[in-house]
Amino acid sequence: MKAAGSPEYYLPAGILLFLIVLPFLLPNPFYVHIVVMMAVFVVLGGAWNLIGGYGGQLSLGHAAFFGTGAYVSTLLVNAYGISPWITMWLGGLAALLLSLPVGIICFRLQGPYFAIATIGLAETLRLLVLHFRDITSGAQGLTVPFRGDAPWLLQFGSKIPYYYIALIMAVGVVLITRRMERARLGHYLVAIGQNQDAAEALGINSARAKARALALSAFVTGVAGVFYAQYTYVIHPDSVFGLGLSIQIALVAIVGGVGTTMGPVLGAVIMEFFIQSTQIIFAGQYPGLELMVYGGLLVAVILWRPRGVIPWFARLYQGLVARLPAAGGARA
Amino acid sequence: MDLTTIFQAVITGVLMAGIYALVAIGLTLIFGVVRIVNFAQGEFVMLGMYVTWWLWKAGGIDPYLSLLITMPVLFVFGVLVQRFLFRPILSAPDMAQIFLTVGLSVVLMNAALFFFTADFRSVKTTYSEWALRVAGITLSVPRIFAFAGALVLAGLLTLFLSKTDIGKALRAVAQDREVSMLLGIDPERMYLLAVGLGAALAGAAGGLIVPFFYVFPTVGVVFVLIAFVVVILGTLGSIQGALLASLIVGVAESLGILFAGADLGLVVVFAILVATLILKPSGLMGQA
Repeated sequence: MKAAGSPEYYLPAGILLFLIVLPFLLPNPFYVHIVVMMAVFVVLGGAWNLIGGYGGQLSLGHAAFFGTGAYVSTLLVNAYGISPWITMWLGGLAALLLSLPVGIICFRLQGPYFAIATIGLAETLRLLVLHFRDITSGAQGLTVPFRGDAPWLLQFGSKIPYYYIALIMAVGVVLITRRMERARLGHYLVAIGQNQDAAEALGINSARAKARALALSAFVTGVAGVFYAQYTYVIHPDSVFGLGLSIQIALVAIVGGVGTTMGPVLGAVIMEFFIQSTQIIFAGQYPGLELMVYGGLLVAVILWRPRGVIPWFARLYQGLVARLPAAGGARA
Repeated sequence: MDLTTIFQAVITGVLMAGIYALVAIGLTLIFGVVRIVNFAQGEFVMLGMYVTWWLWKAGGIDPYLSLLITMPVLFVFGVLVQRFLFRPILSAPDMAQIFLTVGLSVVLMNAALFFFTADFRSVKTTYSEWALRVAGITLSVPRIFAFAGALVLAGLLTLFLSKTDIGKALRAVAQDREVSMLLGIDPERMYLLAVGLGAALAGAAGGLIVPFFYVFPTVGVVFVLIAFVVVILGTLGSIQGALLASLIVGVAESLGILFAGADLGLVVVFAILVATLILKPSGLMGQA
């Protein structure tokens, strides 16, 4: 038994408290924007990790689910004036439905099919959205009409409420991941990852387990897409369905550490910090340079840190827990 | 819509199929021998296009003549990629391998953006606009050259693989790595050769289309996506399959552009991918 005052309890609680007061410590809205984007990528990387990390199925087209959420919600909001608090679930549901045939078709097969099919899915959606401009307004993109401070319409005058919503979503994804890890589905996925044939022999339906993980992942990604559309007020086919976004989502999980709860969290913080810094340093003067560094980073991580930064960080954290004193005089 | 227009689209598709075949054969060769799915194959095409464009711009060298430079340059590039990027991860999980090639693709694409800007470049030759008219159908001469060039290269590769000792060694490694080692073949050298050849073929495809195709940093994306569909439809690792599948994909894309609109050609290609994965995931040449 660990006492309530042990660092194992108060350290995470302290971190959470810090995250709650964080927006008031930041000097201006630009910094709040950075932490909002970090939280969005915690959600996206975490969602990707459910199927990519735990399911071992590499998706290179998660933008398909993100863009579906963003477009379905924004179209419904604009056409029928439905509150985004409701369309958020519909956007997630649309992404989930989209993921079902992908799972059914691809998970019967072993090989690179899923990676290729997901790229194809996102590209197809991007091209269709560009083509049917009567409905989607094509390359112009969709705008969420600005209503000022309207909480019911998920619009706020300040960035701080967005931060809290994003934070709740990010914590939610961490909890979902933890729950899945400990539930039957998580154990199935680990067994399949270690030896699919052996898992099948034990009666695990590997295709169904992977399809479930993908559906969950797609749903969360779709919800994040809705939030993003509300937060930025504008979505374009090239940005929300683009291959660049799909790669960025996967990169977050890979840099952090795939198949771990906290990997995507670390990955999102590191990547977003990295992206924002390079944008400030290069200030868009050298087109291509940022992404070149980005791709280089991906290659470097694969070659030298295939497990991401999580093992290194976990040691640091454990060291901290061991060294911190117990609070309130209680002995650990 | 009259029959001539449809026939015109079919011919255009067939002529483009030669190029798709070259890119896909390179992809399937690398997969067959080294077992790596190369998502950077499209960027090899892009590099071939830029090398050709640059040789024309700076040295006034004819695009077809510059194949003699482009192909060796891309071959060496492929060898370096195998030696320094692919070799360390040969036994890593699929995920690591795919991501490495995705990273390489991002680096190359953006390096092109950085060094050559996002401008669309083109090579204007005296024959760029030449066309033959046969029975109401217009045949673009550079497209015919590209098709013929692709066929010649594919034929030479087939001869190389079936008649020479090195080619046979390459196929042996593709079939069974362990047994080929017992036969005294050094698989590491064959890997270098396979990736070098795969890159050279993609580079040649790039060079062949420069007289009628714009050159820009992200041009490779379309080629790699089509090449994936071609190799899956034609069965991963099969060269004959890739040739046949590229014809189907090329014609389908061209008809898709005609009937659905210029921006939906690729959607038709993906529909073929979905149909293949549902009906016969092992491809046209597959056993099951």
